[in-house]
Amino acid sequence: MSEINLSDIHKSFGKVEVIPGVSFSVERGEFVSLLGPSGCGKTTLLRIVAGLETVSSGRVDIAGTDVTHLPPEKRDIAMMFQSYALLPHLSVAENVRFPLRMRGIGSRDEQNERVKTALDTVQLSHLGDRRARQLSGGQQQRVALARAIVSRPKVLLLDEPLSNLDARLREDMQVELIEIHKNLGLTTLFVTHDQEEALSLSDRIILIKGGRIEQEGTPAHIYAQPSTSFASQFLGSANMLSAVVEDTGSGPMAVLGDGQRLPLALDEAARGAVSLALRQEDLVLSDASDADNGAGLKAKVRARVYLGARNRYVLELAGASLRILTGNDQLFARGDDVSLTIAPERIRVLAP
Amino acid sequence: MTDRLENMALVMPGLLLLGLAFILPVLQMLVLSVSGPDGFTLEHFTRFLSDSYYLGILWRTVRLSALITLITALIGFPLAYIMAKSGPRLRLWLTLIVILPLMTSVVIRTFGWIVLLGRSGMIPSMLRDLGLVGRSFSIIQTESAIVIGMVQVLLPFMTLSVLGVVMSIDGRLEEAARTMGCSFMKTIRTVVLPLSLPGIVAGGLLVFTLSASSFVTPSLLGGSRIQVLAGSIYNAVTQTLEWEFAAAQAVILFVGVALVLVPYLSVTGRRNG
Repeated sequence: MSEINLSDIHKSFGKVEVIPGVSFSVERGEFVSLLGPSGCGKTTLLRIVAGLETVSSGRVDIAGTDVTHLPPEKRDIAMMFQSYALLPHLSVAENVRFPLRMRGIGSRDEQNERVKTALDTVQLSHLGDRRARQLSGGQQQRVALARAIVSRPKVLLLDEPLSNLDARLREDMQVELIEIHKNLGLTTLFVTHDQEEALSLSDRIILIKGGRIEQEGTPAHIYAQPSTSFASQFLGSANMLSAVVEDTGSGPMAVLGDGQRLPLALDEAARGAVSLALRQEDLVLSDASDADNGAGLKAKVRARVYLGARNRYVLELAGASLRILTGNDQLFARGDDVSLTIAPERIRVLAP
Repeated sequence: MTDRLENMALVMPGLLLLGLAFILPVLQMLVLSVSGPDGFTLEHFTRFLSDSYYLGILWRTVRLSALITLITALIGFPLAYIMAKSGPRLRLWLTLIVILPLMTSVVIRTFGWIVLLGRSGMIPSMLRDLGLVGRSFSIIQTESAIVIGMVQVLLPFMTLSVLGVVMSIDGRLEEAARTMGCSFMKTIRTVVLPLSLPGIVAGGLLVFTLSASSFVTPSLLGGSRIQVLAGSIYNAVTQTLEWEFAAAQAVILFVGVALVLVPYLSVTGRRNG
């Protein structure tokens, strides 16, 4: 049975409709990410589940109960905010106790026990007496997490909780979030604009664009088989090239704007004008002589960005600019002619 | 060194004004309060502190000031909260309405209250017509009249002090409290009120000191029978011409206000430190 169910949600702010009819559900114990660029309506959807926004029309169910018109405090949820929203006038332990106190869960002793367990879970039990303001960003984040799980809610809502952390801390927290999610069996709805975060944390990703669901599926599925150019660009920041697909004796062939030809997989069915999605990591760069021999596309290096373990090149091909990631074994300079190859089955052919 | 000299030069006019126009007279008043015909004396203080009439005036001043402070807080906090949560346009209008009374003279406003509250004024006669009160009912020349008039005069100080603090409270905190099981009223009590305390303290300080030392509104609305300390000082200066006694009363007012404020500040200060 689904723990969260949204059916045909519409939401307008004034005359602007930000959610033009969205339905999805989250199964019990599932970790689902709402992924999309800022302003796409993903946070609004989360706030609708939390009860912090009302809906213009539609229905919200949590654990089989219609909660559409219930205020947030009557919903069995916990929410973690991007800004952590710790109460500055309370100590760390009092912050974690707050939901228990407000919901009247357990006796004083039981509350103490639970607060201790929750703080242990995030490895902060030694800081219980501190004020929230005296902690670092990462620590505040852990307190917010402890506070969210202490009441053992049916549903955990996370509003970009990791985006204010530096890269190292964020990776640590991701691991921690997954462990806590699995150990407590929480149903989790996670909002993020960070594709890597969504890919690494989620059981399922719901890609949102302009208040609508663009695509949904497991991370592997949605990454490997984006169904639109938006999906392929947003997940994995693929390069988009417009081309025309033609039949040749040796199978379908994509003809680029400058006349260069790129073989496609034999089972490719699309014909006519298309968009090709080429992932940065699938493109292979080699010496220009390869292209002269007919193996690969001719391109020109516009810029190289040294990233330590890898290099990012910006190339010019058929009037478009392509970004690719390569290792350090072969270096090219700005202005060099290079050859570009990609395995036909790695090319994703999408509607233009 | 020159920087320091320059700074001194810049500070000097202000210091000079403060010294000549404020500190000097206050010192003079202190000296005056302990001087008698034969030099140093405490007789003005003993006279005040041994006379139940004057002690009554002191007690009334402190009691009414505390009551006025409490009422302005009770009205000012919700008002400030609503102002903070309304849109910028509405907030501008509300702010204007709140500070509008400050733009008219306190005497004029007090006369307005006399018209409304007087024996044949609008409010008493309306209450009499409705049969809610007896024929002899009167508000003017009671402590209630003083409180009503003073609350109106001092409300802006409380409201604006609280508004500044409430505006700076992160709205996410209230939303977070809601998701943790607080109803709206519970959120106000457990989150907004504690976080607004610095503003309420600051507003309370202003209102309490201003009402303890206010003179015009209490004497016009309370009449000569219901005196507060500032009125009593005025009488000593202008009617009985006992300047030493007036000075002693002023010192007592100052000490009395300080006695109330210091514990108040230390209690609330510790909570917010």
